[in-house]
Amino acid sequence: MSKQELQAELMELINDNQKIIYKICNSYCSNKNDREDLAQEIIYQLLKSYRSYKQEYKFSTWMYRVALNVAISFYRKKKTADTVTYEPVLPDFKDDVHSTAELENNLAILARFINELNELDKALMILYLESKSYKEIAEILGISETNVATKISRIKETLKQKFLTLN
Amino acid sequence: MEDLELKSLLASYNQKLEQANVLNLQSWVLNVKCFEDLQKQKATSKLKSLIAFKLLAIALGILWVLFLGNLFYFSLHSSKIFFTVSVGAIFVINLAAIIVYVNHIIEINKINNSESIIKAQESIARLQLSTINITRILFLQAPFYCTFWWNTNMIVNDPLRFWLISVPVALIFTLASLWLYKNISLKNANKKWFKVLFNSPEWKSLIKANNFLQEIETFKENM
Repeated sequence: MSKQELQAELMELINDNQKIIYKICNSYCSNKNDREDLAQEIIYQLLKSYRSYKQEYKFSTWMYRVALNVAISFYRKKKTADTVTYEPVLPDFKDDVHSTAELENNLAILARFINELNELDKALMILYLESKSYKEIAEILGISETNVATKISRIKETLKQKFLTLN
Repeated sequence: MEDLELKSLLASYNQKLEQANVLNLQSWVLNVKCFEDLQKQKATSKLKSLIAFKLLAIALGILWVLFLGNLFYFSLHSSKIFFTVSVGAIFVINLAAIIVYVNHIIEINKINNSESIIKAQESIARLQLSTINITRILFLQAPFYCTFWWNTNMIVNDPLRFWLISVPVALIFTLASLWLYKNISLKNANKKWFKVLFNSPEWKSLIKANNFLQEIETFKENM
């Protein structure tokens, strides 16, 4: 397959799975410029790594691996560069007019909680939110299924406790 | 909060994460159609500047090693034994550092983002930490800067100065450089001497890489 054909094929797949990019950029970046830079970096790395894509995994599994790896490296670089000033800001959800005040409040608490997670737990949470199976989450992260289950249950428990204390 | 309630909240959050700021980002995804231009604008400029910096360091290192090699070669035909041995040792140490640095760049290019998160992030953090080896190696050359100007005349004509000043100074440098070679390690990153000696942003990023590696280890454990 020629380079152009390969690119065209990948673009189509990226377009079909573009929500993965939005979700990861929104989770790891606080401002518009960073989100755009990260989206661009993810697309660049997807193209660079596409030849190594093995059909044994689903495309979305592979795309999550690349995108999360790029996002974690980007986030860490950003954190190191802005040691003093960098403070993650919650994703901007203000556009949605259908949300109730209570839901908005709970979502803000949830967003804050997820933002406070470390890079790896955040990746785990993103995959869990997507309702990925434990097997697929384990494949993307590179840990055992049991480990995924334990971590998710612990994060959920902490989250419940947090809501109990706050409400 | 009940399980069902939490599940529904997580689903709403997921939906919002996918939709928030989509307009800004969508323009980037749509831009993928002209990827070549996009590539030229930002992504490669970042990579290029990183690689350019490393290549510049290697180029300067090679020039320095060539200069040392030249000095060493011509000193072989003279009777300046201390000079020849010192320059030869500095040459070998710098050459070793360049080889480690080149290897570092090769390893950077080998990083595969399509590997699992743990595997890829572990390699990146370990690679970052490997730069510490270059510093350790370079410290070993310090004593040879104290000996290259020695000659047999100064031992014969001014033995007191040689044995009471020059030799102890060289010995102190030797012990210090060996001690640093042995102790420059992130295990000692919290020691006061380490913080005084390595207080630059580069070293801070190494410490962060080390902490991240520990986080990865904890993450891997099934507690």
